[in-house]
Amino acid sequence: MSERQDIRPETPAERRRAATSKLAVIAGDSIASKPLSREPIPWARSAEAAAQTAPARARRGGRAPFGFVPLAAIGVAFLALPLAALVVRAPWRHLTADLTAPGVLTALRLSLVCSLGALIVSILLGVPLAWLLARVPFRGRNVVRAFIVLPMVLPPVVGGVALLLAFGRNGIAGQWLDRAFGVTLPFTTAGAILAEAFVAMPFLVITVEAGLRAMDRRYEDAAATLGAGRWTTFRRVTLPLIAPALGAGAALCWARALGEFGATITFAGNLPGSTQTVPLAVYLALQSNPDAAITLSLVMLVVCLTVLIALRDRWFPSR
Amino acid sequence: MSLQARVALQKGTLDLDSDIAADDNQVVVLLGPNAAGKTTLLRALAGLIPLAHGKVVLDGQVLEDPAAGVRVPPECRPVGVVFQDYLLFPHLSILENVAFGPRSRGVHRRAARKTAAEWLERVDLAACAAEKPRALSGGQAQRAALARALATEPRLLLLDEPLAAMDAGTRAEVRRELSRHLSSFSGTSLLVTHDPIEALTLADRLVVLEGGRVVQVGTPDELSAHPRSRYVAGLVGLNLFRGRGIGHVVELSGGQRIIAAETVPQEGDVFVVIPPSAVALHRTSPEGSRRNVWLGTAGALDVVGERIRVHVSGPMPLVAEVTPAAVAALHLGEGGPVFASVKATEVVVYTA
Repeated sequence: MSERQDIRPETPAERRRAATSKLAVIAGDSIASKPLSREPIPWARSAEAAAQTAPARARRGGRAPFGFVPLAAIGVAFLALPLAALVVRAPWRHLTADLTAPGVLTALRLSLVCSLGALIVSILLGVPLAWLLARVPFRGRNVVRAFIVLPMVLPPVVGGVALLLAFGRNGIAGQWLDRAFGVTLPFTTAGAILAEAFVAMPFLVITVEAGLRAMDRRYEDAAATLGAGRWTTFRRVTLPLIAPALGAGAALCWARALGEFGATITFAGNLPGSTQTVPLAVYLALQSNPDAAITLSLVMLVVCLTVLIALRDRWFPSR
Repeated sequence: MSLQARVALQKGTLDLDSDIAADDNQVVVLLGPNAAGKTTLLRALAGLIPLAHGKVVLDGQVLEDPAAGVRVPPECRPVGVVFQDYLLFPHLSILENVAFGPRSRGVHRRAARKTAAEWLERVDLAACAAEKPRALSGGQAQRAALARALATEPRLLLLDEPLAAMDAGTRAEVRRELSRHLSSFSGTSLLVTHDPIEALTLADRLVVLEGGRVVQVGTPDELSAHPRSRYVAGLVGLNLFRGRGIGHVVELSGGQRIIAAETVPQEGDVFVVIPPSAVALHRTSPEGSRRNVWLGTAGALDVVGERIRVHVSGPMPLVAEVTPAAVAALHLGEGGPVFASVKATEVVVYTA
């Protein structure tokens, strides 16, 4: 996922190599007074030869080990069948009616509000954190990075329990918040935003950190020599250069926040209108109104597919 | 002296400790082999790397003095830099690139754009103002980077190998243009290069850096006539030796002796220069008036114009310049033992 932005199609080293290999061919003519770096041409010939056999090899087809093809087919079916079933069994006839039912609309609106709120929190806290991890070599940096990645791997319910112990009424920080500001976080919309941010922020941090590491820092040096202070450099040079990484991180973060269930239901509860986001609504609806559950699930599927398609060039570059 | 700097710092395996001084309207060229510390020195003057010891004073203003705890950050220094790969911001147009400096220093957008347009006019890039850097050729990008650095009206202009990213064809043309722009710049220019032609044609003063230390300072003529290190001698195409001179004889560390026509100017440590054209090659030991004869092995051949340079290895390594006919007659292409002789009258000796 390299964000290196070259300002010319070939690097100076490549152009020099091309020039010297050309000169080596017409050596013997009077050209330069200093000895040329003798670049052996054989490397070009063997690369050519390799390129010629590659298509031939592909045409022959990779010889898969015995049994791999049927197992792979079963794997595809295993992953694709549930998604296909969702589309096939969707109540297409009364889809619009299902979507516009009052409880459903509330859940959808709430999901949107909470996921966007989580995204904003993630950007506000995550971009500076990514910067710290990418640019400031401090002791314990690897430990911090491990903690950042933890919510990505931790079972979300466990995350919810941990959040309760930290921000709950009797939690470490929660009791101070309650006493000093009268602020309660569990079982509120703010709590849902917090829970979603907890699981989704790592995605943003990791992606933006990668983007910051991959960018050419000399552009920031250039900006400094031109008179730009730290904030101006960040705003006018760094941000535009990491914009693709930031966009991808934000999309991932938002999609993850949208789909969060375990941490939300544990920390924020399942209160319709204030914390019942779509995943929670689906869970509830499954018992009483399966059609509504299927419809909502379909909505989530479409959203995730859209995010994947939008980011396809980043993850699945076409060769 | 408008620039007076002593830069001492450690970076990886490089131990840099050098003094640089330059006047207004002067072009000082920093010359040296790779990893000599030239780019590091430039970055330190720009404020991108902190000094460990030393002092940087520009036009009377102390820019950095670690001992006194003074350090002016790069954005506050009146220094402009043209980087090796130009580093034009890829997401901005050329006009916005050139306007970046003035805008960062507080000038309003419209006024900054006007200044930028004037500078682009001056470097003959007005037609490309709205294009992105990737659309520019090497020469155009270099001019844009130069305009961008000069738009902030710096007192010191630093250029890091400005012609390195160009092919030989455009380099001569761009070098001439660069020379023109530098002479019209009122401040001091410090240019880093490893190309001797660039150094010798652009410099008012040459500073040779090797292994983090200044080895020689002088005008191009002084360097060509009296090189003080093997690197400089190689650049200007001379054979250089260092030894102890007494009377007419210079004794080298390996025991070889070089006989000169004139007595050494001062007994002691001396440099000896032998032009390659003064070295004659023979397959058998020569008789005659030549006092300096050494046995060696013929090695690599280089074509220089219509002459051939032969590298002779052995206890007395030399580069000899001979005609192609001589190479053919002596079968020098096959290598083998060869006698190198130099007339004492061709040997130049000067104090180290």
